Amino acid sequence: MSSIPAKKIELFCGTGGVGKTTLSASRALYLASQDKKVLLITIDPARRLKEILNLQEENSGNIETIPSSFFTGFADDKEFSFDALLMSPAKTLARMGERHDTTQGFDNPIIKILTRPHGGMNEILAIIEVQQQLQENIYDCIILDTPPGKHFIDFLQGTEKIRQFFDKSFIDIFKFLGKPVKQEQTSRGFLSLLIKSGVKKLLSFLEKVTGKNFVDSFIDAIIALYNNKDSFLTAISFQNQLKEKTFSNWFLVTSVEQQKTGEAEDMQKTASRLMHDDNFMAINKSLSPYLKSWNTDHATPFLKELKTSMLSREAILLEYAKNNFENTIDFPEILDNSPGVHVVELAKRWSQLNDQQ
Amino acid sequence: MKDHTPNYSSQHSIPLNKDIKKLYVVTGKGGVGKTTLSMALTKYLAENERKVLYISFDQPLNEALCQQLNIPFTDLTIHRSAELYIGKKLNSSVVASWVMKTPFFLSLFNMIPGLGHMIYLGHIINKLEKDPNLSIILDSPSSGHALTMFESSFNFKEMFGEGVLVKDIVGMHNFLQKKNALKVLVSCLPTAMAIHEGQELKTSLHKYAIADIQIMVNDAFLKTPHLSEAVLPEFLQKKIDLEKEILNENESSIQFVFPHLLTLEKQIIIQTLSTQMGALI
Repeated sequence: MSSIPAKKIELFCGTGGVGKTTLSASRALYLASQDKKVLLITIDPARRLKEILNLQEENSGNIETIPSSFFTGFADDKEFSFDALLMSPAKTLARMGERHDTTQGFDNPIIKILTRPHGGMNEILAIIEVQQQLQENIYDCIILDTPPGKHFIDFLQGTEKIRQFFDKSFIDIFKFLGKPVKQEQTSRGFLSLLIKSGVKKLLSFLEKVTGKNFVDSFIDAIIALYNNKDSFLTAISFQNQLKEKTFSNWFLVTSVEQQKTGEAEDMQKTASRLMHDDNFMAINKSLSPYLKSWNTDHATPFLKELKTSMLSREAILLEYAKNNFENTIDFPEILDNSPGVHVVELAKRWSQLNDQQ
Repeated sequence: MKDHTPNYSSQHSIPLNKDIKKLYVVTGKGGVGKTTLSMALTKYLAENERKVLYISFDQPLNEALCQQLNIPFTDLTIHRSAELYIGKKLNSSVVASWVMKTPFFLSLFNMIPGLGHMIYLGHIINKLEKDPNLSIILDSPSSGHALTMFESSFNFKEMFGEGVLVKDIVGMHNFLQKKNALKVLVSCLPTAMAIHEGQELKTSLHKYAIADIQIMVNDAFLKTPHLSEAVLPEFLQKKIDLEKEILNENESSIQFVFPHLLTLEKQIIIQTLSTQMGALI
């Protein structure tokens, strides 16, 4: 096991409930203690980060600074901090508007509703947020706590969705419909594009089945998004960078209690097209250290069976990790109910992993 | 899309003398055994001669496991649901299939996942309305995304304003708010954060007039058979003590606790848990 150097992007993914959020917070604490300027972003709409860092829901979308004094028991002799952000689709969009002076278009009922916290736009706008942060270049490391399971794949495929959406044919269609758009573009073969895209037919269908205001708002919403096309499209470069080993660390987090190797395998397979192969399998909540020191020589058959069962869970997961991942790191189960204690103990483990080399 | 309904010999079954719900939505953090619990519940109801179907929303359907366990299931995808719905609205499945393939609609559909979620839920409700004897167990996405599924219908109602689609959405809501229509089962691991997430989901769902929500804890060592009688090593005792502490602190909001089972065989776990599912009806 080589040490784990900090990268610009540190991505934590995995099935739910494995401790992604806690582990990413511990990574943030550890890297901040190494004098890195760190931003921790949680994309998961479940928002457990709120609970760990005592953040307020009303403050989501705003970057908050967490001083090291918030935690006790890790690098207490030093003073440092890291920043944390609960993803808010609406705030991300507003910031984008401010940067490009296109805020006005976002004052649209459809956009407002869809960018509510559970409106479903979290994953796509998270990509925009990360890209904006990368461009501003304030942070040495951006740690991403991603949504569970297949929603992580949604996040990864976000740029592809954005690219499709901004297919250049759309702008022509809206010009045809008599709506003003900011960027002027002319095109050849316009009529064939119009027919192929199906926009006109779709809109006439929508007019039949929804209220009269909806189609107008809908067109305005699309134009507002289109006027920010460039910001959306630059996010694609973020995806390309994710393939570079020097740019990102990938941690696929799993835990022994779940036995979800099948799901992890699916995720890895889908993600492998988008990520580099120097990735980490992080086995969280490992009971191995405890089990190894448990002597069952004189125990009842039941306890012997229990130990065997628990050890085989650990072994299956380890075997899977070794066969499928370049690197495997493990984090022992922390027997405490306080999230703060978990973060501190896991941060110590990161430090230990780094010192091993 | 065909429903797979195995035949049960009624010989051993105990008739379930209780009204069951039309739709059970099983959610909670990922990896808490949503699939296991959903399948166990379906199995329990099927064995009690109820007409039920298991549907997997978030994960690819494990058809082999359903068949091994005699679990009636149906395969439903978001894309297919959308195509069927549009076909119905346009009175033409050919046009619907064309709409679904147009780059504009497809990209829009992909950009706004809530739309697909809503149509999918609508499709399930439609299936239930057509068959008064049918119940469906929906192995649903994890809590944040389950909320998106319910919230989307309200969001789209607000956006569309009026028209046929709004009528359909109102129809969905009316169905869900009927007595005995919907129960949301939130599964949590015995940790503070998981249970708090479950409680938060409950509060959020209340806002949408979804009242029948039950929080259950899964994979608890303190319920593992024979474990409490044994002299345990310190770490296991500590683990159980921590579970107790969490369960005590949240006692009023937890309706049921399922055990951690020693076996790794999914089939045996589902089989074992299915005998305890009466508590969730």
